[in-house]
Amino acid sequence: MMLDALPSILTALLAGAVTAAQVAFGAALIAFGLGLALALVNVFTSVAVLRLAIAAYIEWMRNVPALAHLFLLYFGLASVGVRFSPKAAAIIGLGLVGAAVLCDVFSAGMRALHVGQREAALAVGLTPMQALRCVVLPQMLRLTLPSIGNYASQLIKDTSIASAIAAPEIMFYARSLVTSTFQTPLIYASAIALYASIVFPVSWMFNRLERRLGVGR
Amino acid sequence: MSDFFNVYREHLPEWWPRLMDAARVTAEISSLGFVLALVLAAGLVAMHRSRFAALQVAARTVVEFLRAVPLLALLLALYFGLPAVGLTLSGYWAGVLGLGLQGAAYVAEVFRSGLDSIHRGQREAGLAAGMSPFQVFTAVVLPQALRVMLPPLVNCYVSLLKDSSLCALIATDELMLAARAMSSEYFLPLHIFVLVGLIYFAIAFPLSMFSRLLGRRLSRGRRALGTT
Repeated sequence: MMLDALPSILTALLAGAVTAAQVAFGAALIAFGLGLALALVNVFTSVAVLRLAIAAYIEWMRNVPALAHLFLLYFGLASVGVRFSPKAAAIIGLGLVGAAVLCDVFSAGMRALHVGQREAALAVGLTPMQALRCVVLPQMLRLTLPSIGNYASQLIKDTSIASAIAAPEIMFYARSLVTSTFQTPLIYASAIALYASIVFPVSWMFNRLERRLGVGR
Repeated sequence: MSDFFNVYREHLPEWWPRLMDAARVTAEISSLGFVLALVLAAGLVAMHRSRFAALQVAARTVVEFLRAVPLLALLLALYFGLPAVGLTLSGYWAGVLGLGLQGAAYVAEVFRSGLDSIHRGQREAGLAAGMSPFQVFTAVVLPQALRVMLPPLVNCYVSLLKDSSLCALIATDELMLAARAMSSEYFLPLHIFVLVGLIYFAIAFPLSMFSRLLGRRLSRGRRALGTT
């Protein structure tokens, strides 16, 4: 029976899901850290060159396919002696793309806050750092939560691209299972179901968080 | 540094025609995929706005499902999975179908929020003035919704253009596959992938700027009309 293969297929795909989760977490960490740092520079600097450089970075990252970034990092840099493991290349590549996306999101979020928020915080005696940490950032994060949620589910789906540079994630296992068992429709259907069963809870969680924090009020 | 550019001076005459042929395929599959996405999305939105609860639920399920599935999984399933049920598609058409399906979910969201942005009173006023529901839609609602939808639609097209690079993995002769083939032929992956990145950028960036410009333009007109 065809379904006999299902347990072994699912075991292999779940092993891939662990790698996918590692790639997603690693990339999210880079994206969040670098994205926030760039956004802060972007919003608060008065140096035009810096803003221009950040804009150039964002446009390059957002107008070139993620696959091209991964190939550049993995194959391109290897040819000049900078070698990454597939997983590391995927984390860095998706992280750098994500940083550009989140920098846009965070910059827009901070600009949407009224200037008075920061001025009032400074006026009551908070240091600029405290004003940022206690007043600006929490509100900005609440405001941008829907966009962060979209980014999170996009990132989970984008980890599938890492299979193109042979990172052993879900699609990588799916493809190698196909060549060994020929249960093609069953394997790809399982892979699709697996992605959906990861993405749905994540976006549900973000929706719940949004409602709880009263985003969009 | 000058060595880096000398490589281009030497190889570009051979590379350029191949890359341009491949870029044409990239443009074709993303454009055909986009047209398919527009048609499918129109159908989904029509279902979503119908009076029948079953159709509404079906449309929402399809959209949610397509939004949760990675394009690569969809493409591999279409290209390698469909032959098992007796339907064999070339990489080209599997790519168009995959891009169309994935794009439909995003375009449907744009359509839905665009139509939602038009106040109900507009429709009621049209009906009260004696127009048919079809006339109200084509002459009152749609023209106003289009200006809201146009910028995000251009963004959808840019996304599909970038996503079309995944069709390389189902052997469609588009830019990324050409780049992979050439990089194993010339052993100059860095040069080739930088060049290919620039080609994507040269197509996508002007479109992104156009979308932004359009958004600013159209929202300015909207305020002036006092419709918000």
